[in-house]
Amino acid sequence: MQDAVLMSPVAFAHALRKPVSGEVNGMETALSFADADVEATRNQILSICDVSNLNRFGVKGPQSAAWLEAAGVRVPETTNSWTSQDNGSLVMRLGNSEFLVEDQPQNSLCQTLNETAVENHGVHKVIRNDAAFIVSGELTSALFSEVCEIDLEGGALEDNRLVMTVIAGVSATMLKQTLKDQSVYRIWCDGTFGPYLWKTLLGIIEEQGGGPVGFNFYYEIN
Amino acid sequence: MTSRIAKKRGEWINRDKPLTFEYEGQQVQGYEGDTISSALWANGVKVLGRSFKYHRARGVLSFANHDVNALMTDGEDTNIRADVWPVNDGMRLAAVNTEGGVIKDKNKYIDHLSPFLPVGFYYKTFFKPKRLFPFWEDKIRKAAGLGKVNFNYPRIIKPKRYAHCDVLIIGAGAAGLSAAINAAAEGFKVILVDENRQAGGSLSYDYAGDQASADTLNTLLEAVAAEKNIRLITDAYAGGYYGDHLVPIVAKSGITKVRAQSVIVAAGVFEQPPVFRYNDLPGVMLGSAAQRLVHRYAVKPFNKGVVVTANDHGYRTALDLASVGTEVVAVIDMRHDGAGQELTQKVKDKGIAVHKGSCIYEAVPSKNKLGVKEVVVCPYNETTAEADTSRSVRLACDGVTMSAGWAPAAALLYQAGTKMRYSYHIEQFVPGELPEGIFAAGKVNGVFDLKGRLQDGRRAAGEAMNYLGKAVSVEAVKPVSMASPSHPYPIVNHPKGKNFVDFDEDIQVKDFINAAKEGFDNIELMKRFTTVGMGPSQGKHSNMNAIRILARIRQLPVEKIGTTTARPFFHPTPIGHLGGRGFHPHRYTAMHQWHVDNGGEMMDAGIWLRPAFYAPQGSGLTASEAVQQETLAVRHSVGMIDGSTLGKIEVFGSDAAAFLERFYTGKFVDQKVGGSRIAMLLDEAGVMVDDGVAVRMADEQFYVSTNSSNAATVYREMQRNVQLWGMQVTLVNLTGAMAAMTVAGPESRSVVASLTDIDVSAEAMPDGAFREGKVAGVDARVMRVSFVAELAFEIHVPYKAGLHVWKALMQAGQSVGIRPFGTDAQRLLRLEMGHHLVSHDTDGLTNPYEAHSESLLAMDKPFFIGQRSLQILDKKPLTKKLTTFVLEPGFNGEMPQECNLVIDDGNNIAGRVTSISFSRHLNRHIGFAFVTPEQSGDGSGFQIRTDSGAMVAATACKAPFFHLLESKGE
Repeated sequence: MQDAVLMSPVAFAHALRKPVSGEVNGMETALSFADADVEATRNQILSICDVSNLNRFGVKGPQSAAWLEAAGVRVPETTNSWTSQDNGSLVMRLGNSEFLVEDQPQNSLCQTLNETAVENHGVHKVIRNDAAFIVSGELTSALFSEVCEIDLEGGALEDNRLVMTVIAGVSATMLKQTLKDQSVYRIWCDGTFGPYLWKTLLGIIEEQGGGPVGFNFYYEIN
Repeated sequence: MTSRIAKKRGEWINRDKPLTFEYEGQQVQGYEGDTISSALWANGVKVLGRSFKYHRARGVLSFANHDVNALMTDGEDTNIRADVWPVNDGMRLAAVNTEGGVIKDKNKYIDHLSPFLPVGFYYKTFFKPKRLFPFWEDKIRKAAGLGKVNFNYPRIIKPKRYAHCDVLIIGAGAAGLSAAINAAAEGFKVILVDENRQAGGSLSYDYAGDQASADTLNTLLEAVAAEKNIRLITDAYAGGYYGDHLVPIVAKSGITKVRAQSVIVAAGVFEQPPVFRYNDLPGVMLGSAAQRLVHRYAVKPFNKGVVVTANDHGYRTALDLASVGTEVVAVIDMRHDGAGQELTQKVKDKGIAVHKGSCIYEAVPSKNKLGVKEVVVCPYNETTAEADTSRSVRLACDGVTMSAGWAPAAALLYQAGTKMRYSYHIEQFVPGELPEGIFAAGKVNGVFDLKGRLQDGRRAAGEAMNYLGKAVSVEAVKPVSMASPSHPYPIVNHPKGKNFVDFDEDIQVKDFINAAKEGFDNIELMKRFTTVGMGPSQGKHSNMNAIRILARIRQLPVEKIGTTTARPFFHPTPIGHLGGRGFHPHRYTAMHQWHVDNGGEMMDAGIWLRPAFYAPQGSGLTASEAVQQETLAVRHSVGMIDGSTLGKIEVFGSDAAAFLERFYTGKFVDQKVGGSRIAMLLDEAGVMVDDGVAVRMADEQFYVSTNSSNAATVYREMQRNVQLWGMQVTLVNLTGAMAAMTVAGPESRSVVASLTDIDVSAEAMPDGAFREGKVAGVDARVMRVSFVAELAFEIHVPYKAGLHVWKALMQAGQSVGIRPFGTDAQRLLRLEMGHHLVSHDTDGLTNPYEAHSESLLAMDKPFFIGQRSLQILDKKPLTKKLTTFVLEPGFNGEMPQECNLVIDDGNNIAGRVTSISFSRHLNRHIGFAFVTPEQSGDGSGFQIRTDSGAMVAATACKAPFFHLLESKGE
């Protein structure tokens, strides 16, 4: 037997850019794409970061909310909304009975939930493979006005709401949060669409004068 | 620049930035901000193009984005609208649709043939002798037309964007500006759009010699600029109206799809020309065109002009012309009573003669019909539309302005479903009944005076705000007493014709009369027969006159004739704009890059990218050779295919088994945990839709696979039926979450065994068994399957570990010569096994009885999708059967192809080939075909007709085909 090296669904899409890579949560990850000041400039204009390596846990079923609460997880009261735990982990309510939990790099809530046995009927763990991105910068409106029909300036993502929408032809989940004192957009999509979405968004971002930033830009763990 | 006048207040040109460009080989001076037409006109160049059909010289007509006889090419782009396109330094332009230049166009002789070329002539001529028709067709197509398409046009991405607002206002004239300011002041988010480069509408040119109204415009523009709730988009047009207030705004840079809560159409009106002989000569233009030339571009339209009018606007034009030094010889007013005393006196005070109840009978061309040298003026009878030629006078001039009335720019209102009515008060169609959330203001709404337009803008904004839930008071606009802005019939009959109604298509008054005589006397039929309104300007200057002419021909009121509705986009829009950036999502498996790095020839498989075969660089393998080698590896040793594209759905819950029993044709309630069964899906008509494998992982948990292209469809159908049937089932689509690979061939067991803790021995893991364990250290789901080989293992692992497991298996199989194989080899392998592919070997009508799939039907179940249809089909005789077949040993003739027909003894179609391939392993051509039931029995012969018509003998043969080897003793 051997230790598996996990791959971001987007890994090969950014390989050509020769990022500085490292392992985060067992996954080969692009830690940086350029010098810190270059990434900072990109981030100010418009940037995208692959955070597919963050640990996630999915659960579905009529009893899933109760199961999560019994496990000490604070769950959003309404569908299509999200909340964060005291340790920063996100809990998203994707439907009445479907949840997605995402850890910050230093958290282990997902691992704990994964290891928690499911004994009650109506709770089903869901294997996830999300491509996950952070998009931020002054020109996010210009980007999203081209790839997404939803009026993001009209309050669709305020008050911890999340939307399930289509971005550049791909079904995606989207929310807005504050990270590093910055308002950022978070996007999740089926990982098999990840390389396409990364390339498509990055193409537009670069037209706008922005670019990719590595995982360390937000999390600085290596 | 001979016609450039002194700087005008509010002019749109930048005199600090002169520039030079070339037109038809001639160097021309202009300024930044000039359009092509304004710069040319300023330099005395008045022949801007040739007409579509008769190749008549044409100049400025509307100067408002509808001068479709002044289209240019710069060698790369074509059909550039000279009246609105800005000039650039160094541009090299030529008129389109000419041969030998715009002045010496060799095709101008066609004008002399015009009596023989009435509308519809090509419907009736050149059909005999038939063999010559292509010759004439070629001539006609070359002689008539617009610019030539440049097939090497570079791809310039024009992004399509979304925008949202509370109130979308189309038209930034007085009414639109007023509406925007009022709505924004109440906190509403407004998008204000205008097709001109600057906002203001007629406030920026219709001055009647006095620019006082420019102050009003400045005030409005300052208010708009100060209002953060208003987004002003200029140089862009609203191309159409779609449901729920979706309006595409088309700019040079691309399309913005605006989703509005409400829409105010303040798009104004299009000026309509009076119709008289030779009203198309260069130098004869609409009154508003002349005003725009004067006030926006500081260009004097002509030195000595005549104004012909059928409303008060002609008087205003005359005053504007006089203000820049044009000698206005006379105002020819087609109305018996003329204008009011005050306006008439103002004109007369400028020394301009006014002839009431008169018309221009014809304009007299200068040499070669390149301009106008005089007009023939006669008394005019408004009732009969006849001129009294016995009392004609000739007035020398070098230009004519025409004003006869207006047509509403109501295309979007029509598209939104507005019911228009005809107002005899203003002789114009106006909105009668507006759809919910749609409002109209200004001239398009029939309000012409400036004060009224400003009020009407406020009124429309108020109504929009009330519609959006904010109660505001709305003040109705009181109609003012004024002469009708439009004339009911501004047509002057002329026995020699050439009194043009439609300048796009060279359509004259007599063409309408002839069309009506031939029975095309309905507006829709007349439009199609005469092609009126079907040119690039889409009838903006011709439809209203056409309706008036038809009404008179049929002796009906105008409103009884009706109007046509221009479909969106109502203004020609480049294909590149409509295409936009073009989003074409693809799905990638976890092993994608490995395939590419190892010579995988990637192909689209639905939305996925998959390797068809592997031909590593330097291998020299052809596609065919690669496929045969990959197949042989599986037959003799081991091969591996990336099967991640398979649909993978988990079905949980206490009703999971019962649900699958209703959904699929087989039985699942009694299925053992750790076993798998074929899951065939039908539609309600009993047609085969999909087949996969259902694995029972636990009492209340199944893991179901589907065909690669059907995953989303099957999942959606499952979701629908779970709700419909009210069952306790939870569904999870794992298609993208799990990577999958199939290790196949006699050595597959040893390869898999070397990496797993699962006992994969034949005893512990028989065909169809399912086990969970570790493969290469990763949690995996492993199935014994036999789709491509009798011994094969399908391994499913989380996507992110897919590449790791794939590489480990390739490494483990190295010693036994493992090869990756692609979809082409997969198809051959399953063909050798005798497995059909649903949707490839079956079609949208194939039922299980026709495809040897009866064994998968549990007809004794109470219900499954399609069961009732099968009960009916079961009682009917079969008309076709899918059968496996072989060609003769050693066959080396023309290879039949998929879809080649099976022909019976009577030379009738009996079926078709659905799959065929040469198997090197079997050394035979094998395939699937639909044949008659009589031809489907083992050993039955039938004929296949190839593409060239050759007949190839085939024999039905049972599958798997490996018995062919046994019969040869191999």
